Amino acid sequence: MDSTEARQYLQGLLNKDLRIHTTDGRMFRGTFMCTDPDTNIVISKTHEYRQPSASQRAAAAQNSSGSSVTLDMTSRFLGLVVVPGEHIVKMEVEQFASQMRHSTAIV
Amino acid sequence: MTFNPGIDVPDELSRLSLGQDTPPRIRDAPELNNTGTIPVDITEKFKKASSALQPGEIVKDEFFTLFESVGALEIMDPKMDSGCVKPGDEFEELYDVSKPLLPEEVLGIIDQLLCHETVFTSVYVESLMMPDPTHIEEAVFVRRGDTQADAQPMLQVLRAYCLGMLKACAYVNERVKSEHYYEEEDFVTNTYNRTLLGSLSTADIRAELNDAANVVQKQREHLGGEISEALSSRLKLRDIFLSAAECPQFVAQPDLARQPWETALMLLPTIKATHGLSKQVDESFSVKLQRKLASTVPPRPIVKLSFENAFGHLDRLFKDGCELINVLSYTNSQCLQTFLRHFQAKKPQPLVYVRTLLQTFLFDAMEMLGGMSIRMIMDDDLAIVSLPASPYLDRANDDIEVLHDPRFIISQQMEAFRKRAAEPFLDIFRTFCQNRCRVRRTLCHNIERWDQLQADAEQLDLELQARAQEVNLAGQKFSPNTIPVEDDAWSLSMWTYLYKLRQMEWIVQLGFELEVYQPDELAGMYWYLSYLSKTRIEYVPRLRKTLTERVKDLRESPAQNRRNPAVERQMLRTLEWIRLSLLDAVVTWGLSEALASLYTACSRLELLTPPPRPYSNDELRYELRMKPFAKIETPGPISFEQFAAHTSQQGVSTEELLLEASKAMTDAKKACESMSKMTPEESFSVGSHDRWLASIKNTLKSCIATGLAIATVQKAMREDTRGGKLKLTVEVPTPDKTYHEWWIVPKIAPEST
Repeated sequence: MDSTEARQYLQGLLNKDLRIHTTDGRMFRGTFMCTDPDTNIVISKTHEYRQPSASQRAAAAQNSSGSSVTLDMTSRFLGLVVVPGEHIVKMEVEQFASQMRHSTAIV
Repeated sequence: MTFNPGIDVPDELSRLSLGQDTPPRIRDAPELNNTGTIPVDITEKFKKASSALQPGEIVKDEFFTLFESVGALEIMDPKMDSGCVKPGDEFEELYDVSKPLLPEEVLGIIDQLLCHETVFTSVYVESLMMPDPTHIEEAVFVRRGDTQADAQPMLQVLRAYCLGMLKACAYVNERVKSEHYYEEEDFVTNTYNRTLLGSLSTADIRAELNDAANVVQKQREHLGGEISEALSSRLKLRDIFLSAAECPQFVAQPDLARQPWETALMLLPTIKATHGLSKQVDESFSVKLQRKLASTVPPRPIVKLSFENAFGHLDRLFKDGCELINVLSYTNSQCLQTFLRHFQAKKPQPLVYVRTLLQTFLFDAMEMLGGMSIRMIMDDDLAIVSLPASPYLDRANDDIEVLHDPRFIISQQMEAFRKRAAEPFLDIFRTFCQNRCRVRRTLCHNIERWDQLQADAEQLDLELQARAQEVNLAGQKFSPNTIPVEDDAWSLSMWTYLYKLRQMEWIVQLGFELEVYQPDELAGMYWYLSYLSKTRIEYVPRLRKTLTERVKDLRESPAQNRRNPAVERQMLRTLEWIRLSLLDAVVTWGLSEALASLYTACSRLELLTPPPRPYSNDELRYELRMKPFAKIETPGPISFEQFAAHTSQQGVSTEELLLEASKAMTDAKKACESMSKMTPEESFSVGSHDRWLASIKNTLKSCIATGLAIATVQKAMREDTRGGKLKLTVEVPTPDKTYHEWWIVPKIAPEST
């Protein structure tokens, strides 16, 4: 991928909602604003999502009678954040299911 | 009260009072498993693309600035990211809120809650609030599992206390947010998107507090007298605070409004005395809880005040609250202003909550003090200052319906004036409710509007005079409760001008209080203050002569011809007001003149040397100091040359200068002494006389100190035989080290050998 193509691709992602998973297991969902060669990513209006902790899981398992439990991820609002490239393990872009049927432009 | 920005509120206040824009409520986090959107993995492609960028190149949205990005929180940086969990650390705070507590520990936690800057780090508070309880029975420490835990007496006490505290916080937050205040500068209303028990009723919470108090009573024998006393006084305080927060409902019944504040003050000594019994439970507070707060700022360490300090705040809160209720007993508009000025000048200034409560009392629902219209207050003020018993203010004029009747026109024109003047006038009240720096800043904006108002007032004065003459010519009569205004009386413009002058003086005086001026600038700024107050002295007596004659006429006229005694009372009141403001102006003039001369003498004798200022000069600095007054037409701006000449007084010898200073100081002192003998009515300080008198006494002390300083310099000059620099030390104190913040009297002493 040459730099022009790369730039075009990244520009196409601007203002789209990204889900960024970090090394510590959290996920951040926000609007893509900016990136650089080290894949540091700035996203705005960010919410943080966290998997239930071990103790929460244990408590839920104890309280439930069935064989499986469903726990929601806990979330909170953080606003504008920068996720350093070195901590990113996975990135996803949110696409509308309705639009995906017609185009696969981004992926 | 909600203002309509730009209409009801001066621009300055509405623009800067960030609290008025309620922050947009944060949307709940979007549902992740929404079928409408599908996440598509782009990790590889994105990484490849970004690494193909040139070094230093960035891809960004065109409206996104790098300046903004500076405010972004860096994820995984422990200093920035409150959600960052160090390896091997637990995310959750593992403190068990259901474990039994000793009574001493409950007391400890309660007192710790008082000392902490934020309650959001308390594990107990967190467990009560999350998730937001919709019903009082949900607001328990343990919602699932061990339901017995909350039945433990000690946890019951702690729970009730926490509920009462959170509700109180909610009240305070709402009150502060509904009035003018400055976010961050005065108060932070941020609750991290938590609602502070929004769905629970105060009555329910009070019932819990009551139950808990009964539990303590029942356990009294088991707990011991002292500790049960300690716990019940704290529960009681929470209950009373809720009543205090609801006191604005009794705006028309000051005694009822004052009650909770007074009761609280009586409880405080017990709380202080029993603090020693408490045992802190530090592990029930944790910074980790911030991981769960919606926060756009980096994590903060726990800030803890000492108990003495925190208790001091509590004590001041209730004392100030008690005093604040006095504002509800309205005597007249001048007394109200005296109250405001002196209450807000307290050091330390009353807490933001008390200041916003004052605003509520003053302006709630477009009524002042719970039942007076703005017109009543304004007419009262006009009557005191320049229109005693005047036909202009006669409400009988409103009843005239004939369009060409001059009395109808007078009524119309007065209404036009009120409309123009109401906002600048009320802004004086509003302004004094702000923090001290803002008071000065807002006054600077306000005087410009008073300046414009003065031009309008002059126009209206002319028209009103013409109409008043028409009434005479037409053989019509004003109501017998009034006395006609003199032909040459510029009543409205005089009222306006006097207010403008006072505000200009306050701006300079607040400059001293807020340490705006450097020591070597004091001579010049005191000279300017003396110039302003001298203008006021020359202007105030305009009305006095005619008024005195009229009062005399009235008294000498035969009893049957006497008009309404209310007329005489009003005229006497105006005479009293004139006397007070003359004395006040004389004090200001005399003392500022004395200090200006003294500082000039000190700089001539090289006792005060200006600091090196490589990048500034006197003229530029003068321009800066005069900026608030630059646009004012009367009194017009003074050129730097004139200012420098007045300040340096080149033609006058230093001996003469000190002699003049001494004379001016004596005038000020005499005026101060007469003022200190005034009754609350005479001094227009009903409801705040103690505070007013204290301020006069402090000014008197400043006069005496100035006299001593002058004498010290004079003595040293007489005794000096060998020439050269005098053996004196001059220290310019900071405002808090003076008798009165507005009078920076230098400390001059012989150099110790």
